[in-house]
Amino acid sequence: MKKFLGTVALTTAILASGAANAFECKRSEASFDKPGGFPERALTMIVPYGPAGGSGQVAAAMAEAVTGLTGIPINRDHKPGGSGTVGMTAYMAAPADGYNVLEHIDDASSAHALDSSLPNPAEDLIPLVVSQVTFSQIYIRTNETRFTDWPSFVEWVKAQNGKATIANVSKEGSMERVTMGFITDAAGMEIQQISFDKGAPRYGALLGGQVDALFEQPGDVRNFLDAKQFKPILTIFDERPGAFADTPTHREVGMDFDPLLRFRGFYVHADAPADRVEWLKWAFQRGYCQDSYQAFNESKFMTVIDSYRETEGAKDLINRSIDQYRNVYKAMGLDVK
Amino acid sequence: MIENFLAGSSALFGDPFTIGIFVFGVIGGMLFGAIPGVSMLTLAAILLPFTAGLEPAQGVMLFAVIYCTGTYGGAITAILFNIPGSAENAPTAFDGYPMTQKGQSGKAVGAAVLCSAIGGMASALVMMTATEPLANWAIRNIGPPEIFALVFFGLAVASTVGARTIWKGWMSVLIGLLIATIGQDPVGGINRYNFGLTDLAAGIAFVPAILGFFAVSEIFVQAEKKASGKYKAPKVSMTFPSFLELWMHKIAVFRSIIVGFFCGILPGIGATLAAFMSYGEAVRWSKKKEEFGKGKLEGVISAETANNAATGAAMIPLLALGLPGGALTAMMVAVFQMHDLQPGPLVFMLSPDLIWIVFAAMFYANLSILLIGVLETKTILNLLKIPFQFLAPLILMLATTGAYISRGLVLDVMIMFAAGIIGYLLRRTGFSIPAIVLGLILGKIGEQNFAQGMQMVHYDIGTYFSRPICTVLIAAGAITLLSSIYRAFTSAKTAE
Repeated sequence: MKKFLGTVALTTAILASGAANAFECKRSEASFDKPGGFPERALTMIVPYGPAGGSGQVAAAMAEAVTGLTGIPINRDHKPGGSGTVGMTAYMAAPADGYNVLEHIDDASSAHALDSSLPNPAEDLIPLVVSQVTFSQIYIRTNETRFTDWPSFVEWVKAQNGKATIANVSKEGSMERVTMGFITDAAGMEIQQISFDKGAPRYGALLGGQVDALFEQPGDVRNFLDAKQFKPILTIFDERPGAFADTPTHREVGMDFDPLLRFRGFYVHADAPADRVEWLKWAFQRGYCQDSYQAFNESKFMTVIDSYRETEGAKDLINRSIDQYRNVYKAMGLDVK
Repeated sequence: MIENFLAGSSALFGDPFTIGIFVFGVIGGMLFGAIPGVSMLTLAAILLPFTAGLEPAQGVMLFAVIYCTGTYGGAITAILFNIPGSAENAPTAFDGYPMTQKGQSGKAVGAAVLCSAIGGMASALVMMTATEPLANWAIRNIGPPEIFALVFFGLAVASTVGARTIWKGWMSVLIGLLIATIGQDPVGGINRYNFGLTDLAAGIAFVPAILGFFAVSEIFVQAEKKASGKYKAPKVSMTFPSFLELWMHKIAVFRSIIVGFFCGILPGIGATLAAFMSYGEAVRWSKKKEEFGKGKLEGVISAETANNAATGAAMIPLLALGLPGGALTAMMVAVFQMHDLQPGPLVFMLSPDLIWIVFAAMFYANLSILLIGVLETKTILNLLKIPFQFLAPLILMLATTGAYISRGLVLDVMIMFAAGIIGYLLRRTGFSIPAIVLGLILGKIGEQNFAQGMQMVHYDIGTYFSRPICTVLIAAGAITLLSSIYRAFTSAKTAE
């Protein structure tokens, strides 16, 4: 019963925060003329990750929304592997005729920051829309007794002399690893990062006590938050989102760094015909406004902060991320090419 | 429990539309599981958007049924044509295809049908009785160090499968392990042996490698025989295994259910490891190890019982904790979410009807494997009557398509043919293809868990041995390893 009441309380808080951030569609045109009949057949969306993960799900939701809006089917072509590089390479080799679009995440920006020979999503591609922007948090088990909040967690971690553990995706140069570097430096603590590339073993490791904490984005662990199994003890964002009003931000606990955000968006080749690109921008930006897509984003905690960036906003987000990652990589002593 | 099961059965069969969805899932899963390259995952991805229009119980049930029958589907092509429909059916081909060549195809297919059904139904029953405690036990006691130890334990017997000598067996395993290191390392994301090819950063995919090593190399072998006049078409046998034969393997079935269930219950592991581990255990406990890989019924029984036993088990962490065990169960999470539900402890409280419809459907889906399997087998076996000159191009075409469409990369087709040529040459010189594939599949899983485990124990190898399950498995694996080396030396001396 307690769990049920907890869920109701959390859901109420989320709804309240959703109401505070009432959705307003920023793409006003309800329809858009097809340039020269384009598209006259199905689009292909290359997704550089598997169908079951966050990218696969957002690609499916956006494809459904755009098809619902335009009547144009979208075939999703999943090319997982190499932290998104396999899908990106396949996309760059696909014809730049506007019929091929790409889903990708901020990994494309961080990869370009480390190696400038890889495509720059803001220059080599045109962002149609960024449809998910989210922040990260640090979670512990709700029934944890060794520590209960951020200050007690830091104190406990320091007492372990580097033996404490946190689950994340700590691949070289990843957003998670870089952010954890900021946090451990600022808090003056040492913690062993355990890299799990799949969600289930990562969350299972915290649930089962194999690790002491978890670094993740709230949408990915929503069911554990709803079930009161996980609780956030630190939000890595400049202000407290309404749904997590009781959780301190990294700035509030004395950390002074710009948070790196996780974002997912849709792109087209930079040299695709301009009139087709305009139509695609409309379709994907308007697709974001569709009820089905909004319901999807809400279910993923993606309405807690503003998830929408049109083309220019997306370019700005990408460019800032690239600069930020590049500075961090240089400071870390990585070989920035 | 019985009352809930009957209520779930009644809800399942009380509505014609729900029955239609169930039948569609059973047949669709079998078909997509059998065709190489596409898989039950392909079918699930196609169906995912349509589940939004179904009742939540119907949507989740459809995926659960596809999971059960899709895992079995690939066994038939593995046995008849050496084309495993997916990775979890690869160990079935180790002995299933040699049985076909010996004119025992009916026996192999019959055993696969029966054991898939038994494994699946047994795990469905355990799932119904003890979902929550089992899930909680697994996540508390089994972490990356234990999974690595399990893989080490499994690999320790791999050298004895199908090679001319134990040393060639070990060389085969090492070749598989080496291939598994191609691509980004599973923890740090650093590229290895990709020679600047971006597509290789993802590593060697299982499907093209398996198709090459099994199907393509086999066509080369048979073509050589045909060219030299030594080719003999496999006899079509309609003889099913007798009750006595199956009864003699009751311990293998029981052991495979346990192994399959144990592997299935671990988040992120699932049916592939279950089939390989179970096959390895069959070899370990057999007094006639040398017969494995050459057409031993126990090999088929062990692999097929275990991979279906893993299906029910994989539902346990999903339903009890919200932790999907593999890609298909991860898609089930999306089905739940489409209906504003979340798998996990709350679903038992808030949607018990849904849970019991799914439990009942999984039980009946496994039962359907038995019924449909028996009916379809005699028709399918007639495919073996197709002359080699027609069958070989057909298999090559199917394999090529399968290798390409799994990721849409030409590189995968090239890998398949390279694996076929290498496999053909290695087989001629007495190396073991099953051992290579065991090394490749277990190597990837083992490396990832070893690296994660080392991070967890702060790179202190001694700390591994402070974990009891880990210690027992590594010690047992080491004993197996040392005894096989000892046997190799003593047999070499005897030969002298």
